[in-house]
Amino acid sequence: MSLLQDAVSFTGLFPEAVLCGTVMAAVCSAFGVFVVLKRIVFISIALSEAATCGLALALVYHFSPLAGSALVTGAVVLMLTLPERRQHLPKDVVLGTVFLLASSASVLLVAQSGFGLEEIKAMLYGDLIVSSPRDRWVLLLTGVPSLAVLLLFLRPVLYAFLDREAACVMGVRCWFWEGLFFFLLGLVVSGASKSGGALLVFCLLVVVPATALLLARRLWSVIGISMALGVLTTWAGLLTAYSADLPANPTIIGLSCLLLMSVALLRALVATFGARQ
Amino acid sequence: MNGTPVIQCRGVTVAYGRDVVLDRIDLTVPRGTLLPFVGPNGAGKTTLLKACLGLIPHQTGEILCDFGGRPPAYVPQQKQLDPIYPVSVRDLVRMGLYPELGCWDRLDSGQHARVEAVIARFGLEPHQHKHFGELSGGLRQKTLLARAVVTQADVLVLDEPTAGLDAASEADMLALIRALHETEGKTVLWVHHRLDQCAALARQVCRVDKRGARLADVSEVTT
Repeated sequence: MSLLQDAVSFTGLFPEAVLCGTVMAAVCSAFGVFVVLKRIVFISIALSEAATCGLALALVYHFSPLAGSALVTGAVVLMLTLPERRQHLPKDVVLGTVFLLASSASVLLVAQSGFGLEEIKAMLYGDLIVSSPRDRWVLLLTGVPSLAVLLLFLRPVLYAFLDREAACVMGVRCWFWEGLFFFLLGLVVSGASKSGGALLVFCLLVVVPATALLLARRLWSVIGISMALGVLTTWAGLLTAYSADLPANPTIIGLSCLLLMSVALLRALVATFGARQ
Repeated sequence: MNGTPVIQCRGVTVAYGRDVVLDRIDLTVPRGTLLPFVGPNGAGKTTLLKACLGLIPHQTGEILCDFGGRPPAYVPQQKQLDPIYPVSVRDLVRMGLYPELGCWDRLDSGQHARVEAVIARFGLEPHQHKHFGELSGGLRQKTLLARAVVTQADVLVLDEPTAGLDAASEADMLALIRALHETEGKTVLWVHHRLDQCAALARQVCRVDKRGARLADVSEVTT
C-alpha cells in the first residue's frame, strides 16, 4: 500500500520525470537492440558523450541544448558513416578518441564558463527529476518519430545489419539504411541526453537490450521486451529513488545492471542444471 | 538467353588502395555452367566475384552482367553472419524473398509454399525454429544455401561453401550444389580450394592467379 501511495504521490509531484523517463526508456531500449546486435556499444557511448559535449557548448554559449547536442552528435554520426576504406585507423581508435575528446571538452567548457562541479555532474549523470515540459517535447519530437521510422523499416535495417553483402546483392540499399539508422540514433541520443545524461542513455542503449536478448528468441519479442524492461526499470528506479531519497538516474542504472546480472546468472544456472539432467 | 554470357569482364582492374589484386583481366563466364574459382590464398577469387556482384568497385575496365532478370543469390561464408542475431532458420530463408517483398509486403500463399518446399528439400524441417547461432557449421551453410535457392535466382554465387565443414557435411553440401546445377540448370559460381572435388563436379574452372583470371580445363589444374 505504501508503495502504491509513493507511486501516486511521486507521479503527482514529478509528472514530467515520469513522462520523460517513459519515452526515453522506450525509445532508447528499442534502438539499443540494434546497438547490441551490431556490436557498436562503443559507438553509443561515444555518441552519448558527444551529445553531452554539445550540451556543454550550448550551456556556455547560450543556445538551445538540443541544437548543441544535435550539432556535435551529427558531426560524429557523419564521421561514422564514412566508408571504412577511407579511414586509415581502426574504427575503435577513432571512437575512443571521440569519446575522450568529447568527455574532456565537456569538462573544460564548463570549467571555463564559471559554472561549478554541480553542472558538470548534472550533465554527465543527468537528472530526470528536474525534467521540464520542454524536455518532454524534445523527447517526444525526436524519439517517437525516430522509433516509428525504425520499426517501419525494420526489415531492410535488419537485413543490412545481419548479412550486409548478401543483402546488398538482393537489392537492399545497405549504405542508406545504415546511414539512416546512425542518423536516427544520433537524434535519439541528442534528444535524451539533457534529461538522461550520458550514463543513463548509455545504460538504456546497452544494458536493457542485452537483458532482453537473454530473455527472448525472436527480434520483435526482443524489441518489445527491451522496451518494457526499459520502462519498468525506469519507473522502479524513480520510485526507489523517491522512497529512499536517492539520485534518480544512478538508481535506474543500478537497477538495470542488477537485472542484467540476475538474468545472466539465472540463465547460466538453468543451462548448467539443464545440461546435467 | 542461353547463349549470352552471365558475366563479361573487359580489362578489369581491382585494387585495395595501392595493392592491385586483379590487373586488367578479360573473362567471359558462360551461362548454365558450374564453375569453381580456384587459386592460391589471396589470389583474388572472392574479390573477383564480389567485383562482379558490385560489392567491390573496380578501377578500370567494365563488367557486364546478365543474371537473367533476377538478382543473383550470394552465399557468403557462414562465419560472416553473427550468431548473436535472434533470427531462426525460417527467418533467414524468408530473407531470400526480399527482392519480391520489399520493406512491408507479407508472404502470399505461393511464397509460403516455396519457403516450406525449400526447407524440406534441404532437410531443415527439424531445425526451422532454431536460432541460426545454435546450428552446426554444416546446417548454417545449408540454411544460407536454402536462402539462395528460395530467391529462384538463375545465378548462384557461393564463397567457399564447404569451408570449416566436416567430411560428411562437405559431401552433403557438394551434392546439393551439384543437384542445383544439374536438375535446375542454375549457373553456379563458387570459390573452392579442393581441386579433386572440382574435377568430380566441373569440366572447367576459373583459374585466378598472379593478378589474372582465365577459364581452364579442369584437367589442367588437377594434373
